[in-house]
Amino acid sequence: MIEIERLTKRYGATTVVDDVSLRVEDGAIAVVVGTSGAGKSTLLRMINRLVEPSAGRVLIDGEDTMAIPEDQLRHRIGYVIQGYGLFPHRTVAENIATVPRLLGWDKRRIAARVEELLDLFQLDPAEFAGKFPHELSGGQQQRVGVARALAAKPALLLMDEPFGALDPVIRSKAQVDLLAIQRRLGTTIVLVTHDMNEAFQLGDKIAVMDQARLLQYDTPAQLLTHPAEAFVEQLVGTAERPFRLLSLLHVQAALEAGDAEGEPIRITDSLRDALSRLIWVGREALPVVDASGALVGRVSVQGILAHGRSAA
Amino acid sequence: MSRRSFILRAAALFLLVLFIAAPQLFAFAFKPLTINDAPAIYNQGSLLALTLSHLRIVFLATLASTVLAVGLGIFVTRPSGSEFLPLSRSLVNIGQTFPPIAVLAIAVPLVGFGEKPTFIALFLYGLLPIFENTLTGLMEVSPQTLEAAKGMGMNPRQRLLQVELPLAFPVILAGIRLSVIISLGTATIGSTVAAKGLGEVIIAGLQSNNVAFVLQGGLVVALLAVLIHDGLGLAERMAARRLGRPLDEIS
Amino acid sequence: MAVLIGVALFASPFVIYRANRIVAGDGRMLVDALPPPGAFGVAAVALGVALCGALIRTPLIRLAAASVGLCAIFPAVGWSAGFVTPAGNTFARVSPSLGFWLLALSFALIAADALTRLRLGPWARLAALAAAIGAIALLLLSGAWTDLSLLKEYANRQDTFWREARQHLWLAFGSMVAACLVGLPLGVLAHRVRAVRTAILQVLSIVQTIPSIALFGILIAPLGFLAAHVPLLAALGIRGIGAAPAFIALFLYSLLPVVANTVTGLSQVPAAVTDAARGMGLSARQRLWQVELPLALPVILAGIRIVLVQNLGLATVAALIGGGGFGTFVFQGIGQTAIDLVLLGAIPTVALSFAAAIVLDAIIDLTRRGSS
Repeated sequence: MIEIERLTKRYGATTVVDDVSLRVEDGAIAVVVGTSGAGKSTLLRMINRLVEPSAGRVLIDGEDTMAIPEDQLRHRIGYVIQGYGLFPHRTVAENIATVPRLLGWDKRRIAARVEELLDLFQLDPAEFAGKFPHELSGGQQQRVGVARALAAKPALLLMDEPFGALDPVIRSKAQVDLLAIQRRLGTTIVLVTHDMNEAFQLGDKIAVMDQARLLQYDTPAQLLTHPAEAFVEQLVGTAERPFRLLSLLHVQAALEAGDAEGEPIRITDSLRDALSRLIWVGREALPVVDASGALVGRVSVQGILAHGRSAA
Repeated sequence: MSRRSFILRAAALFLLVLFIAAPQLFAFAFKPLTINDAPAIYNQGSLLALTLSHLRIVFLATLASTVLAVGLGIFVTRPSGSEFLPLSRSLVNIGQTFPPIAVLAIAVPLVGFGEKPTFIALFLYGLLPIFENTLTGLMEVSPQTLEAAKGMGMNPRQRLLQVELPLAFPVILAGIRLSVIISLGTATIGSTVAAKGLGEVIIAGLQSNNVAFVLQGGLVVALLAVLIHDGLGLAERMAARRLGRPLDEIS
Repeated sequence: MAVLIGVALFASPFVIYRANRIVAGDGRMLVDALPPPGAFGVAAVALGVALCGALIRTPLIRLAAASVGLCAIFPAVGWSAGFVTPAGNTFARVSPSLGFWLLALSFALIAADALTRLRLGPWARLAALAAAIGAIALLLLSGAWTDLSLLKEYANRQDTFWREARQHLWLAFGSMVAACLVGLPLGVLAHRVRAVRTAILQVLSIVQTIPSIALFGILIAPLGFLAAHVPLLAALGIRGIGAAPAFIALFLYSLLPVVANTVTGLSQVPAAVTDAARGMGLSARQRLWQVELPLALPVILAGIRIVLVQNLGLATVAALIGGGGFGTFVFQGIGQTAIDLVLLGAIPTVALSFAAAIVLDAIIDLTRRGSS
């Protein structure tokens, strides 16, 4: 668990981060969103002390980060930036091995870890281990960047616009992959982005920042239905709001007893996808199946719409 | 390297070594240039010894300039030395308008004739390109890469040795190459202040009005410079290729 | 810097006194080099500059202080020469010594540093250069330096000095102009035809690698042959040794920067701009003259700056093969171990390169401003 307590950063007369407190549970993804210059990157960089706070403190599992020598602290925290900052003079394997080597792991352990990570990120070790960063595509570089950050099995991963350099198609795939890997490893992630869709896609909780202040820190659903300030409301987008809300919920939530005609919908699909299918095929209701394919009930347009209202 | 250029280089090197080791073999080619039965091949000393002492002084001076210039370049790009960065840059700019010969000439009255003034001129003038390229190389390292290195918990020393210097290496090497070439030329002129070197052959030829000496001295120095330039350029391209930064065709 | 000034003031001789121009001299500390009020004045000014350099960060004030310092020590060294030389003695030589040079160096460094920080515009830099030239000219013409040994060397060689100066400038500028006349069309051609580009640049970079004196030497043989067999060339004054091989060598050295920078400059013209020009119906020739060359001008000028500074320096070496120029004094001076004679050749060379660099940098800035 990481706890940020009244964290503040001032440069001369300007305050870049103003009295921010928040807490991220173990294994959760917290996304910090805001316009550029809102102070979100500075907030992130104060967690691994790339920026020294002017006031306030950060606790990781109850331990004050100021009590840990900064290099040791950073060995324990994964860090991914936009553009990844891969070392151009080192191979993919050497890049991934950076922190384990700094920590003095023995060679065999490092090699095994590198191979494990390459497999995890769907990069064939035989093909990619010896390549240099400039020989990789953007998506591959991004995966190597994340793999490198995870090499020493950090419990916490900090990501600053990690998908910012990717084109839209690769970006959504990379987001899905990151989610899958995070769920598997249970790593706690704090991620900074200016992209609201990304925040809703990835965040267990979303922190909205503007002009150095934290405006709201809440679950995506709360943010949509109970925006704390006009700025938050504007940022989450009024027109898209019902659809965003529906994409957060699964068919499970609107499951009704009964039967319907047509191609069944999976119970794990989002309500947004279900609604879109219903509109497309022109039916009032469709049958729902579970993971094994057994029929478990039905979902209807009326039922879904009830979940897309602010009162839900 | 293509097969043809390899053969060309090997042939040039072979010719140079053969000429330096056994110049009399080539006497027939230089004979027509002489008048009054003057010797066709330099006869006041061994070409081999002159070449070796020429290379020795260039090597030692370049080594000394490299150590100091890279050290200074590292110093002014650290936070503690950043105060001196603008000053050192304008010094380099001013220094480069000094012709190497002026440095050589001014050194003579201060330290006397011989190897010393040549060494001083070579050393001082050699500093400039290496220092400038060290600065360029270190400052070209992308801020993202540095940020990532810092974020992974590398201390300043690890960042310098494992990230910054390896990345700046090809650019520093280019500076050393430039410095070596300038030094080879300045060392030739060093013969006017009695430093042992290949300039002796040319100057002896000019003094005794023997065009054969002048030409063979000029050719040996030229071939030596071109081959060394080429060899260092090869090393540089190999270093740069690893970084995926192909050098442009002229440098 | 303050330490340097301190050492210069109190631990090193200000001038050197020699009974005649060849013998070893003995140093005179500042107190012995000037009458007491003068010595006191110079020391006070230098200490003031040192304090300023150590304590004050404002570039303008530092620049002013350094200028005052330079204005104090330059006339002072001339005054000192008159003071130290026994009356009526025409053989004695007085030249600036370590103390003076250290002071001059420190002040110049402070001034250079301040000028860098001020980021002056091109016109201001030209004005500063003009002011410096004016001040030096004033010192020379006023006779304040007549007693210095450098000026005595000059007085002995007044005619040769100006002849060699003309020769030096002719070698440096003439070969540059020739290189531009040949190099610019060659650069345009190289930009258009890839095969030509690779070949030309490779050959020229090999030429650039050859040390100057070696290239001079290599050119002597064929030129001597031509002069011996083609009477017309001999009649034009072309001989194996002398200015001809030097001129040709400088010309060859100059080609690489001109051609390479023309190619770079032209290739940096944005494709959108040439496309637009083509779209508006400009012919290839009009595009070259009205669009591409003007946009490439700053880069081409940067090449010419390299050429000029390089030529002014290399022209010194021409003296070795009888080509004349300021190098004549340098090599004579080396031969006679007469440092003043060396300086008589070296100082104008350095000053010329320095001035040329400043002027061309300013011009480059001006054209850049015009094209951006």
